[in-house]
Amino acid sequence: MKKFKIISFIIIFAISATVFVSGCKTPKYVVDKSGAQLWGETCARCHNAPSPATYSDDQWSIIMGHMKIKAGLTDLEARKIESFLKSAN
Amino acid sequence: MKKFYVLIVFLGLLAGYNAMGQDSIPSIPDINNPIWGTKKLMITGGAEAMFVSDSSQLGFRNIKFHLAPLVRLGEKLFLISEIEIETKDGVVDFGLEQVHLNYSILPDLTVYAGRFLPKFGHYRGMTGEGYLNRFPTDPVGFGDGGIGPMVETGLGIVGGLQMGYSKLNYDIYMSNGPQLIANDSTMAGNFEYEGFLNNNKDMAFGGRVGFLPFSNSSLELGISTLQKAKTGDIHTVYNKVGASWMAYDLSYYHFLAALKSTVRVYGEYKTMNVDQARYTFDSTGAFKSNKSSAWYAQGSIRPTTFDLEFLNNFEFALRYSKFTTPADAPWGNAMINSAGNSIHQMAYGINYWLAWDCLIKFAYQQQSYAGNQFIAQVIYRF
Repeated sequence: MKKFKIISFIIIFAISATVFVSGCKTPKYVVDKSGAQLWGETCARCHNAPSPATYSDDQWSIIMGHMKIKAGLTDLEARKIESFLKSAN
Repeated sequence: MKKFYVLIVFLGLLAGYNAMGQDSIPSIPDINNPIWGTKKLMITGGAEAMFVSDSSQLGFRNIKFHLAPLVRLGEKLFLISEIEIETKDGVVDFGLEQVHLNYSILPDLTVYAGRFLPKFGHYRGMTGEGYLNRFPTDPVGFGDGGIGPMVETGLGIVGGLQMGYSKLNYDIYMSNGPQLIANDSTMAGNFEYEGFLNNNKDMAFGGRVGFLPFSNSSLELGISTLQKAKTGDIHTVYNKVGASWMAYDLSYYHFLAALKSTVRVYGEYKTMNVDQARYTFDSTGAFKSNKSSAWYAQGSIRPTTFDLEFLNNFEFALRYSKFTTPADAPWGNAMINSAGNSIHQMAYGINYWLAWDCLIKFAYQQQSYAGNQFIAQVIYRF
């Protein structure tokens, strides 16, 4: 079990070290993803995505604040999705 | 102590990354331009009811209603709360599921404190919740009486990070942690997971790191841990009994054009390892080795764009789960169900989506520890 813990922490540190080193090297096609595309990829992973017209701007602001925390979204993802939902409701 | 240093270094790495990625350092708030924005409140929640039929019962049960007020207190300050009322065991039970304040220190780093659903695996707090769960029940070992924390009280950090075309999300916390139950006729050696109070002076450290390797976020691999060096009540012989929980999870979502369907695959394996001790449960009964494990694998398919439109709202699911407990534990499978240390369940589900947030589930479960069951559940989220 101790070996398991050591391996687990090594994996975590390896991933975080990778993040630290490559964090600035995001491909352009990923950076340029639209809010609509991120909405389809990110939200649908867990649940059916409601139509943007389901909620008001203020409600989407609250929902995305909650989803960013619950789903561990990046700040860029959350802002883009929120902008898309507000523009389409 | 080693765990503490590991946590500190990891926090340092994350903070360092975020600091590097920022265009500017947040400035001291201008008194004429306060950081507190307009407060926004939204009440969400849900309700569900269940029907069960097996060899020993026929009727409606497990009525649940929960309210989840969400409050945006400002641009960076957010309150998440949830209360729950249910009739799970035939009585009305009222519970405080979560209430925690969240503050975004940096765009990808949020600090939270309060009572929260710990991210231990992907099932608890995520895919096992409400209408996200394609079955009306939990896999064996994943619900009440199973392995791992249910609710915690403490503080932590959460966020997501882009790493090239992949992503990483993290949730790391310090909390009261599980409390070892000792000298109890039915639960000796098991844990109280509510975490309202701490029973000694040692804190628990836990968290989950999820890795999404593909740019479309279709696959997520997660690893979770919860460690507590001292789980027994202070000033007792069990005080220094330590315990370790680990979970490994996988979730995959994709639209298969060939089948005109969306497919979901979930899996999780988790373990609990408790230091050896003499866990006494009656005048003659005791056990020493205290290790448990549970895992499940699930797949579901929904023909969302199938030519036969009436099928678009159906979802078909399959799940297998297995739960192994210590041989001589009074709460173990062998003692409770006379089914051996390991129990398993095979579940077949057909679900129908009345709306994006309203689901009717039908499931047939074959259980090694009990007779077969038919369960229907209606669940609605608002």
